[in-house]
Amino acid sequence: MKLVQNYSQYPEMFDEMFDKKGITRDIYKNFEKFLNRSSVKNLNNMKEFAQQFFMNQGVTFTVYDNDEGVEKIFPFDIIPRIISYSDWKIIESGIKQRITALNLFIKDIYHEQFILNDNIIPAELIISNPNYLREMRNINVPNDIYTHISGIDLIRNEDGKFFVLEDNLRTPSGVSYMLENREITRRLYPEMIPQEKVQSISDYPNLLYNKLKSLSNKKNPVVVMLTPGLYNSAYYEHTALARLMGVELVEGSDLVVDNHYVFMKTAGGLKTVDVIYRRIDDDFLDPLNFKVDSVLGVAGIMDSFRQGNVILINCPGAGIADDKAIYTYVPDMISYYLNEEPILENIKTYKLTNKDEKEYVLKNIDKLVLKRTDGSGGYGMLMGKSATQDEIDKYKLKIKKEPEMYIAQPTLNLSTSPCLIENSLHPRCVDLRPFAIYGSDGIEVCPGGLSRVALKKGSLVVNSSQGGGSKDTWIVKN
Amino acid sequence: MLSRVANNLFWMDRYMERSYGLLNLIKTNYNSTLDTGDYDSWNGILRSYMGVDKNISNENYQDSISVIDYMIFNNSNPNTLINMITKARENARSVQEHISREIWISINKYFLKITDKKFYKYYKKNDPIDFINELTQFHHIYYSVADISQERGNAFCFMNLGKYFERILQSIDFLSVKIDILESSKNDLNESYFWKNLLISIGGYQLYIKTYKSIFNVENIIEMITINQFFPRSIKFSVDKLYSHITRLNEFNKPENNGLIFLTGKMKNELTYTSISSIKEEGLKNFVYKIQYDLNSISKEINNTYFYQNI
Repeated sequence: MKLVQNYSQYPEMFDEMFDKKGITRDIYKNFEKFLNRSSVKNLNNMKEFAQQFFMNQGVTFTVYDNDEGVEKIFPFDIIPRIISYSDWKIIESGIKQRITALNLFIKDIYHEQFILNDNIIPAELIISNPNYLREMRNINVPNDIYTHISGIDLIRNEDGKFFVLEDNLRTPSGVSYMLENREITRRLYPEMIPQEKVQSISDYPNLLYNKLKSLSNKKNPVVVMLTPGLYNSAYYEHTALARLMGVELVEGSDLVVDNHYVFMKTAGGLKTVDVIYRRIDDDFLDPLNFKVDSVLGVAGIMDSFRQGNVILINCPGAGIADDKAIYTYVPDMISYYLNEEPILENIKTYKLTNKDEKEYVLKNIDKLVLKRTDGSGGYGMLMGKSATQDEIDKYKLKIKKEPEMYIAQPTLNLSTSPCLIENSLHPRCVDLRPFAIYGSDGIEVCPGGLSRVALKKGSLVVNSSQGGGSKDTWIVKN
Repeated sequence: MLSRVANNLFWMDRYMERSYGLLNLIKTNYNSTLDTGDYDSWNGILRSYMGVDKNISNENYQDSISVIDYMIFNNSNPNTLINMITKARENARSVQEHISREIWISINKYFLKITDKKFYKYYKKNDPIDFINELTQFHHIYYSVADISQERGNAFCFMNLGKYFERILQSIDFLSVKIDILESSKNDLNESYFWKNLLISIGGYQLYIKTYKSIFNVENIIEMITINQFFPRSIKFSVDKLYSHITRLNEFNKPENNGLIFLTGKMKNELTYTSISSIKEEGLKNFVYKIQYDLNSISKEINNTYFYQNI
């Protein structure tokens, strides 16, 4: 009883479990019963069990301190984040719509550029953008798909409505944590998962493999996963996906290009590779075409790709569509390419290239969050509300220099979800990253996703690099 | 299978086997110091196993404890147990899609245990043998888990290549060290504890007693370590294993040249037709040198055939 009664919500934020009056929402009713019959000790044991589970399975990343590698797990909160099936249906169709439009946009700007000619998006925004790869101009890619794997970050405002915060179309990570979180909650709540008809996500690796396979003309194409290596912070994810799909996990040095075909060096000699799910950024992919000093990539792989001899997942150049400055135009793309209203809306975003909007931003900087358009992971941000005058002045100077590199958004309200912190339940901000796969037979969104949690009190930053954690996400059909 | 993966699997098992040998050696030598008070014996082990050249003062029981501490927990020497387990685990981590989940978890748990600060504190307070037995258990689990859960494909063969290769090297190291002692020492080495400990540290004591009935005789011991075909740590036994795994790898990968299988087959047959009297005739030192030379050639051939092919 005590656990739930002492819960005090953040003001002006939507809580996932309780309404404003503190009454438990219907989808959490069963879970509340569970909480009421559990002791704090019991919950703490569950937390300990989860941590041990992640450690033993090696679901960790290494932090280097004085040359000594220390294994850490990503913080995990045992209280699941529950979403109703009807809400999920909206999210699912919204994501499919969005990815369809983004993909058409990428194809368009690397071919005819109708959207620029019709002045829907200013051409200079594309041409001056470092994520726009000239190497991709007029290249036809299999099935016209560029964004095979994407993760769309969603948040909920104070009314509980879902908004898109960010599109991740390059190498979105976190899907293995989604899978592992479920592995552990299955053990923690053995009865509740079937009772609540929590939608299964365990199919994701098979789905991913089949979608990757479907892109090749060959009957049995060789699919591999390309990792930057052991010291990459997402290495766990690379090993997990390769293992679950049953494909080879290769490093750049395992591959070689000969006569525009890609081969891997095996104990039995060279073997042709047909599809590469690469977890290396465009810049590092090919020292002959991009960064010359990259040792992570494969020399000549881009030429092999251009000849159609190998399929790269996601396509190089797809990053142009998840740029923060392009983000503001996604609703326009949806109406331009699909002639539809966006199902999931954007956060109101001010473009600093627009004179009026810039003026508004500079005047109201204390109410806004400013971001670099090419930033990610919460770096390069300015929180107007909490920044000092000095920080604001410095930021203003940067904006004057290159306004096209910045956008501003109102201070966000994320929704909160109860978390077990120091023996009681406290609200913490959460977002949601569902994962979508686009294959030759269409788009599928895995029912669930990664709910990231800002574990610091009052914090809005959920990124794992800034002290964030995660929890399991249940889509309940009950 | 990727050449890099094959190489990592090979080294994963080499490190595991070597760590196991080290633990057995530490345990035996510790035991022997309890009988003899010969704390100086640690220096030989430090030299051959840790690459520590200078003699460290080893005069009393506390020195024993700090040598063991060094050999297990020292971070800066690459040959210590903690560093070898870390490397075995790194190799395992990079080949997870090729080894069974159970193998990965068994190595990972071992790594977590040995790097756990609490475990170190526990060690400081307890009987070293108890503590070494606890670590040895991780190896026993590893061997059994590999046996029952790993499919008999490329990965299993490369792991075994590493395991038996390392095992032969250890048996040879052993013989060489003992030869040196035999040559340099003026003492009567027929003292039974010396031989007993030698056999215990390579796990052959029981078999020896059963076969030769407690009479310690240099020839019998050399025979057992080199050409006994039933003793799982003998050179003969391990070379037979190497040969059978290399034969299977040959079937799986059909390499263009047969150098590797040729060399290993030759070594296997030479050992089959070696007897203790022929070793005596040749001289133990020459015999050991020949084995080392053959192993070197095999190692080069493994590299050329599977790990670093010219392409």
